[in-house]
Amino acid sequence: MAAESAVQFEALEVQAAAITDVFKQAGYEQVAPSMLQPANLFLDRTGENLRARTYVFTDNDGEELCLRPDLTVPVARLYLERHPKADVEARYCYNGPAFRYQPGGVMGAGPREFRQAGIEYIGAAASVMAEAEVVRLAVEAVRGAGLSDYRLRFGDLALFFALIEALDIPERWRQRLKTLFPRPNAFYGLLARLSRGETATAEAEARLIGRLDPDAPDEAIDIVSTYLTRAKIPVEGTRTLEEITARLLDHAKDGREKPLSKKTVKLIEDYLAVAGPPRAAMARIDDLVEAAGLDLGDALETAQRRVDIFAEGGIDLGDTEFHSEFGRDLEYYSGLVFQIEIPEAGRAGQIAGGGRYDTLLQTLGAPQSVPAVGSAIHTERLLAAVRGSAS
Amino acid sequence: MNGDAMILAVPSKGRLMEQAAELFTGAGMPMRKVGHERGYRGEIEGLPGVEVRFLSATEIAWSLARGRVHMGITGEDLVRETGTAAEERIDLIAPLGFGQADVVVAVPECWLDVSQMADMEEVGAIYYREHGRRLRVATKYTHLTRRFFAEHGVTGYRIVESLGATEGTPAAGTADMIVDITSTGTTLKANHLKPLEDGLILKSEAMLAASRTAAWPGSAVNARQEILSRLQKDDKRTAAGKKRKR
Repeated sequence: MAAESAVQFEALEVQAAAITDVFKQAGYEQVAPSMLQPANLFLDRTGENLRARTYVFTDNDGEELCLRPDLTVPVARLYLERHPKADVEARYCYNGPAFRYQPGGVMGAGPREFRQAGIEYIGAAASVMAEAEVVRLAVEAVRGAGLSDYRLRFGDLALFFALIEALDIPERWRQRLKTLFPRPNAFYGLLARLSRGETATAEAEARLIGRLDPDAPDEAIDIVSTYLTRAKIPVEGTRTLEEITARLLDHAKDGREKPLSKKTVKLIEDYLAVAGPPRAAMARIDDLVEAAGLDLGDALETAQRRVDIFAEGGIDLGDTEFHSEFGRDLEYYSGLVFQIEIPEAGRAGQIAGGGRYDTLLQTLGAPQSVPAVGSAIHTERLLAAVRGSAS
Repeated sequence: MNGDAMILAVPSKGRLMEQAAELFTGAGMPMRKVGHERGYRGEIEGLPGVEVRFLSATEIAWSLARGRVHMGITGEDLVRETGTAAEERIDLIAPLGFGQADVVVAVPECWLDVSQMADMEEVGAIYYREHGRRLRVATKYTHLTRRFFAEHGVTGYRIVESLGATEGTPAAGTADMIVDITSTGTTLKANHLKPLEDGLILKSEAMLAASRTAAWPGSAVNARQEILSRLQKDDKRTAAGKKRKR
């Protein structure tokens, strides 16, 4: 719902002022990053979902720009402009428009211009405490606006990755499972193929692969190079002979591996099915991991400690659920992912979202990895929800 | 649009133009240009209520979507490319038996390790790690490409719009792979590209189409029915047995 009428706009501004007050009182500095962002920098970071819905255009100098589809990346850029060494902690809050294309024009599935109010806590040394602070503030902000009928749902991408890391399977399979995790269909397809011992290769390549010895990678490059020369196929384009051969060698190795065990597949499926109150969910994951004889190290301890710290920080666990699968398709998050939502209300009920995105700042040019956690509130949805429940 | 004329858009150049003209002549509706020889208007002998406009195949698709012409002959690929709701705006009445070509996902032939869409997500992720940017797909079919890639769960790529000479972009380095239309496959081969095994996005063909968004006065509806019935009669009569299912 776009803020089109004057009354609507005013109500939204009043709500936003109250929200940013909550943030400012907690020590978050209000910032206003640009609405115009360089397209390349931005689009390469976000998932295709977001990418396809971003307003991209070229200015008169031929520079490709976009209207920001969210504020997290612009705020992260602002932080790096102020602190190129990325060696300080910073807390920022914001309230402003973001833009996403929706099919169907103005009458389409959602507004094309909408507002977000949010916070980013960048460079925090104490990680779980920082997460609790951000979640608590987001909850406080929406409650302050009058929302009472909501659920807090969260997941932990780092925990899933730790599970994959702990499995006794080839490293390249781990990489593939982690890479495909955001695409459920492709992920389950890969699980099925690995458990059947299948490698997806064309026949011609299968013969070539049979001649490659993973223990002799240099010879493999020669074999592939000769094969291409004989077939009169030039090595053209942007992938090197080394890259292509590396993957062919992976296929060669796969052909010699024993398939992924049923036990392992079941463990992954059982893990992804965990959904419910946080302590029960943690207990269930603990049981699964123990039964499988795996050690998830810090990741599991962090996940368990997080639940305690949330509770101590005043977050009501009674309205909270942990879902292992949650956040899998939200691209730049790297750990905690959460959402304040009205159950069964679809997209309109997704009031606020956020999480940890430790890899983002380095991809934007930070000299090292920078911990960062934040949250954004869809203020129009919040206003509608509050008014809806008031009536 | 003026008055009650039914506007029929026809390709203005190339094989599509010739074959469209043959089709209509064969069905007893010869077309000819009016006014200047290099102009863009025409008429059909015996059908005074029809105004012919000669446009590029791409313009025909867009004009149908926007309701600027009533009917048109153009490629199915171009119709579907007009947007996610193409079928709501354009009625694909019938395939015309010419202009067949496939819209395919193609990669450099030297990518021996890549043969299916399932490879693309993984290759994209590795590529991002190695090169710091996403795979670039050069194409003029942004809608068809996005939908197809999404259906196959591939997201780690960016589209680079290419309005011509798409097949040359991987060798030139301006893109890593392409989505393009191919009829014989010779251009792909000549550029050392190969289609993915499951990379067929659309089997396209020249279509007779009608706009759902245009205003259709009674006279236009009649003209449409007249054209359709003459084409159908010709279709039944033709020995080539163009059996069409739609």
